[in-house]
Amino acid sequence: MIQKKVCMVGVFGTGKTSLVQRFVHSMFSERYLSTVGVKIDRKPIQVDGADLTLVLWDLAGRDGHEDITASYLRGSHAILYVADGTRRETCDQLPELRALARGAAGEVPEVLALNKSDLKERWALAAADEQGLSRAFDLVRTSAKSGEGVEEVFRRIGRATLAIKEARS
Amino acid sequence: MPDDRAPWESAPAPVLAGNRPDPSAEELAELRELLLGPERRRLRELEQRLDAIGVSGEELAELLPEAIALRTGRDRQLARALAPTVEGAISESVRRNPREIASAIFPVLGPAIRKAIAETLAGLLASINRTIEHSLSPRGLAWRLEAWRTGVPYAQIVLKHALIYRVEQVFLIHAETGLLLAHAWAPELKASDPELISGMLTAIRDFVADSFAREHEAGGLRRFSVGELTVMVEQGPRAVLAAVVRGQAPDSLLERLQDTLETVHAQFAGALADFDGDAAALEPARPLLEECLTTVVSTDQARERRGARAWLPWAIAALLLMVLLGGLAIRSHRRWSRAVTALESQPGIVLTRAERGGGRWRFAGLRDPLAPDPAAVLAGAAVDTAGIEQRWEPYISLQPAMVLARARRVLAPPTGVAVALTGDTLRLTGSAPLPWVITAGRASLPPGVAALDLNGVAPEIPADLARLAHEIEGQRVLFDIGSAALGGQARSVIAGVATSLQRLDAGVALIGARATLELIGRTDPTGSDSANQTLSRERAEAVVAALAARGVATGAARVSGLGTSRPLTDGSPDERARINRSVSFGVTVR
Repeated sequence: MIQKKVCMVGVFGTGKTSLVQRFVHSMFSERYLSTVGVKIDRKPIQVDGADLTLVLWDLAGRDGHEDITASYLRGSHAILYVADGTRRETCDQLPELRALARGAAGEVPEVLALNKSDLKERWALAAADEQGLSRAFDLVRTSAKSGEGVEEVFRRIGRATLAIKEARS
Repeated sequence: MPDDRAPWESAPAPVLAGNRPDPSAEELAELRELLLGPERRRLRELEQRLDAIGVSGEELAELLPEAIALRTGRDRQLARALAPTVEGAISESVRRNPREIASAIFPVLGPAIRKAIAETLAGLLASINRTIEHSLSPRGLAWRLEAWRTGVPYAQIVLKHALIYRVEQVFLIHAETGLLLAHAWAPELKASDPELISGMLTAIRDFVADSFAREHEAGGLRRFSVGELTVMVEQGPRAVLAAVVRGQAPDSLLERLQDTLETVHAQFAGALADFDGDAAALEPARPLLEECLTTVVSTDQARERRGARAWLPWAIAALLLMVLLGGLAIRSHRRWSRAVTALESQPGIVLTRAERGGGRWRFAGLRDPLAPDPAAVLAGAAVDTAGIEQRWEPYISLQPAMVLARARRVLAPPTGVAVALTGDTLRLTGSAPLPWVITAGRASLPPGVAALDLNGVAPEIPADLARLAHEIEGQRVLFDIGSAALGGQARSVIAGVATSLQRLDAGVALIGARATLELIGRTDPTGSDSANQTLSRERAEAVVAALAARGVATGAARVSGLGTSRPLTDGSPDERARINRSVSFGVTVR
């Protein structure tokens, strides 16, 4: 069975935890996030007919005071960034997070989940902003509430990790 | 130094430099120039040309391995020359990237160090790793009993009582990604989501490493405990081995894990280096992990500790058994003695053989049919008769008790009669109905009795006959002074008595008895004694004759003349003289 380590990175309150909560196999409580700064979940998916297990490291959100524990990022096969479409500042911090993640994990596939897509009336990003983001990232709009884009974002992550392997070999 | 000379310089020397007596040096040199000059010059030219051109990199690459091999085979010069360079290269490599060197020598270093330590400690460490499964110790049996009694599987009982530790799960984790490479777990255990545990263990390890950076340098997270569980972590350069242990995990277990981890690194070096999420290549490492799933119980230790007193319970048990067996033997012997004594002392029973063995008792002898049943005798002595064989021959006992018993059986005396044996005479006393007395007198005597004395038994005759006899005894036949002649009064009395006697005889005859008549003649005190004696007898005989004349059977009658020796004393003196001139009657019924 093929497993891939995927780190989820994002500013505090972007909904990373709720994003995985309904869609993955969870064993540990959320207390881990505040205690050791990481919670690990498992997401079995099928990519192009292949079985794949994503081991998701949900890293404690960045809230301005605490940095993300860099050592958790080490060895990641992919990074899933999570930003909140209703809070512009969560997107503004993405370049800084990306620098941190790349510093620890190296050049690995990246996907950006622009979360809370169900809150259209509070959406804080202009079309130009999103275009800019999608130039920098493989962007997927998601909603933990409605489920929109969630399966898609994990499938993209999975495909990206497998593509890397094929490219290497 | 022959080594420093080219081969072609020394080759011709032995041929030409012969040991002539006086060859001058010039001549020799000249000769050499003449013979070898052109070749030497040509060789020198070639040498110079080689020096000038140099060797191309490609030529060197071709030649170098062979040259190194050749030179290494010849001497150690090359090694000496290279040593400083290699040392420098290694130290530079360590300085720049220590992990690379560490992972390269890791599989070699660990075993070498441990082997040295193990050899020092050899003989000091005793293996305690033996399961109770094969043990037949009293404790083992007790646990089997408990398992049987409670229905809990034996293995669990053992674990409950004797578990020192048990390795329940072993995780092989990729060091960099925290992904699970391989997982082994105890058979009856339910392993829950090892992938997540593997990741979380790695996260915790990272967390500890970040939080206590300085201590981490000295080895990182090695073990932590949760309740009865201890998680032991052994870190390698490419993989981490984590074991979940229940109970008291000894430090020696860490060595074991280390050993396993080194083996994994050595055998799966390629798979570990190339790992990219596909754990299939590490699946063959699982048996190595399974070898770590040991269960250690306290059998051996406990036995050593208890060894000194282990005999005690057995000794107590043996003692109790001996006391029990002894008690049973004594009890059995007492029963035996009681039984033998009871039979031997029983009249009418003669014990000729008494044996015991094989759990059975055998009695044989003689028994009078009138003696009590031997089984009853034994029961009376509180001896259980089950399992006793008996064989009794009948005989007739002459023991007094048996003679008396037989006499009673033959005579069947009524309740008023007592029976006693004096010597061989059976004496009966008391009173009994006359018919019984008559029958008893005629009965044949039982064995052991020579004579029967019935004199002590007063016969009870029927009331009418007794009254008749009493009437007869109340009659007197009176006589005149000095005469034995029967007067009118006398004749009338005799007639009455004769009638009564005939009735009495008839009645007595009916019950098989006989009445005996006694006639007693008396006189008054006048006259001489001898005359009175004669007179009294004449008077009695006169009455007998008169009775006989009246048809009374008087053949057996006893006639006696008392004279004045035993006078009748009732009435006044005058009257007394008159009534003593008489004949009176006595009747005995037998």
